[in-house]
Amino acid sequence: MIKIESLTVQFGGVRPLDALEGEFTAPICGLIGPNGAGKTTLLNVLSGFVTPVKGSVALNDIALRGLSPTRRVAAGLRRTFQQELVVDELTARENIQAIADHISASRQDARDEIARALGFVELTGRADVLGRQLNLYERRMIEIAKTLIGRPKAILLDEPGAGLNESETDRLRRLLMQIPERFGAQLVLIDHDADLIASVCIETMVLDFGKLLAFGPTRSVLDDPVVRRAYLGTM
Amino acid sequence: MTELGKTEALPIVRRRAGEITPTLRYVAIVSVIAVISGFIALVAGGYWLSNFTQAYCFVLALTGCALLYGQLGLVSLCQWALVGVGAWISLRFYHFVHPPFFVTILVGGVGASAIGMIWGLPALRMRGLYLALVTLMLAGAFQTLITVTSFPVGGPGFLGQVGASGNDRVPMARPIYASSDTAYFLFVAFVTILCIILVEAHRRSKPGRAWALIRKNEQMAQASGVRVVFYKAWAFALSGFLAGVAGALLAGLFGQLDAGNFAPTDSIVIFIGTLLGGVDVWLGAFLGGILTRFIPALLIDFNVNAYVGLVFFGAALMLALRDPVGIGGLLTALAERLYAKFQARRGS
Ligand SMILES: Nc1ncnc2c1ncn2[C@@H]1O[C@H](COP(=O)(O)OP(=O)(O)O)[C@@H](O)[C@H]1O
Ligand SMILES: [Mg+2]
Repeated sequence: MIKIESLTVQFGGVRPLDALEGEFTAPICGLIGPNGAGKTTLLNVLSGFVTPVKGSVALNDIALRGLSPTRRVAAGLRRTFQQELVVDELTARENIQAIADHISASRQDARDEIARALGFVELTGRADVLGRQLNLYERRMIEIAKTLIGRPKAILLDEPGAGLNESETDRLRRLLMQIPERFGAQLVLIDHDADLIASVCIETMVLDFGKLLAFGPTRSVLDDPVVRRAYLGTM
Repeated sequence: MTELGKTEALPIVRRRAGEITPTLRYVAIVSVIAVISGFIALVAGGYWLSNFTQAYCFVLALTGCALLYGQLGLVSLCQWALVGVGAWISLRFYHFVHPPFFVTILVGGVGASAIGMIWGLPALRMRGLYLALVTLMLAGAFQTLITVTSFPVGGPGFLGQVGASGNDRVPMARPIYASSDTAYFLFVAFVTILCIILVEAHRRSKPGRAWALIRKNEQMAQASGVRVVFYKAWAFALSGFLAGVAGALLAGLFGQLDAGNFAPTDSIVIFIGTLLGGVDVWLGAFLGGILTRFIPALLIDFNVNAYVGLVFFGAALMLALRDPVGIGGLLTALAERLYAKFQARRGS
């Protein structure tokens, strides 16, 4: 459960988040809004890279204020970035090992978790391939596999479907739906693909220039005329 | 069912023919350096032997520099000053305690590592140019200090100096098993192999993976649980250790050292040599170190003015910045291609 209370972020004259309230309770939640709405900024606040001027965030009732980004990882928070960040010089397995090094309970756990994550994203056969030889879909999958290491509590994915074709998006959708049950983690998904959001997210939050536009069951949020006007109309 | 699930989850390890495995790389390090060193020990005497021993000390310094720049993009311009720090500490320690030589080397390494860390730690949170400037300041500060204090020569007190005549100077003794010039050279070669393997083992394991993530993106590294400052400090400490070991080995080579040999420009030359050799492979620092030692001497032999030599280095630096794989990188790529061909032929 991720709780957001009167959250305000200020960068000079810009206010990417303005008195934001909300609580993600469903196993898979969506976070949508036009470009510049503040979605990535919210992820940055949650993972500790941006300090809000006001308000607070909590993960499963643990206040995150004052915790460093690495402490938040230890507390069970995982994320990916909008930009794809697989290391070219490391193999697929080493990219995942690089997070297991720091959060798996033991070497044996690390080995098991890496094998399980690789198996889950169906890249077991590509484990020893260098990052630079993986295609975009495989790289996105490696990033998701990284978030599955070390008993995650909440996983925040920043546009994991960007740049994927239709069949790849289908495979992504199938995997995302299994994560809460198989790994016991809550999923928060940012994406511009309304179909993907509609098919996997139970609850969805809509941001518009830092303000909460709508929040609730995905279908009713996406059908809300206010949302359609502000967001879907521009697509 | 569970049995099946288990086998499915097991990683499939597929090695390409001719792939360079970690073991193979260690074998290459040991055999290449051992063969080259053996050859030098057989043919070289006096002057050349001393120069090659110094060259290996350069190799160690460059290995540290390459580690920082190649793994983390950190520019350190105090590497030769840290060699001086290591030399001073090991001479000081030697004249107080007269320990076994290996202990002297370790003390020199750990000492230089600690001084480098204390100075560099505040700058490690900053980026690029800032660390370069701070390290250059350390190089300047060391030169000022060492010009005043000189290296200990076995005299009384903390600074260990003797009267102006210099007749009471006590040189640092080499270990009994390596007292001749040839034996000492081989000993230095042995330590060089150990140090390069130490760095390679780091690069292939947990710290190496953490460094790779940091270089890619610091926020991504943090989001992967990597404590960025800690792992940068670790690299800085390891690099300082290698410089300190080089300093102790130089002290053992000459018995005593002259303060005039530790100008900040030498640290800059070390950094340039590092780029020339290449920062991604161990061979880069090895070849770069030897070149850095011999190019100035060769230029003098050919009667080239020192300033022209500097211009030469500048031009070489421009080339290195354009093509950062360096000489070592080019040769390694060539060797890997030959090896792959050889394996393919053997396989068919
Ligand atoms: N580090 C930053 N400094 C200044 N402004 C920023 C920074 N990060 C984001 N912004 C601004 O905050 C707003 C929200 O950006 P972002 O959260 O990236 O939007 P989204 O992910 O919804 O597209 C944008 O106007 C952006 O320019
Ligand atoms: Mg964004």
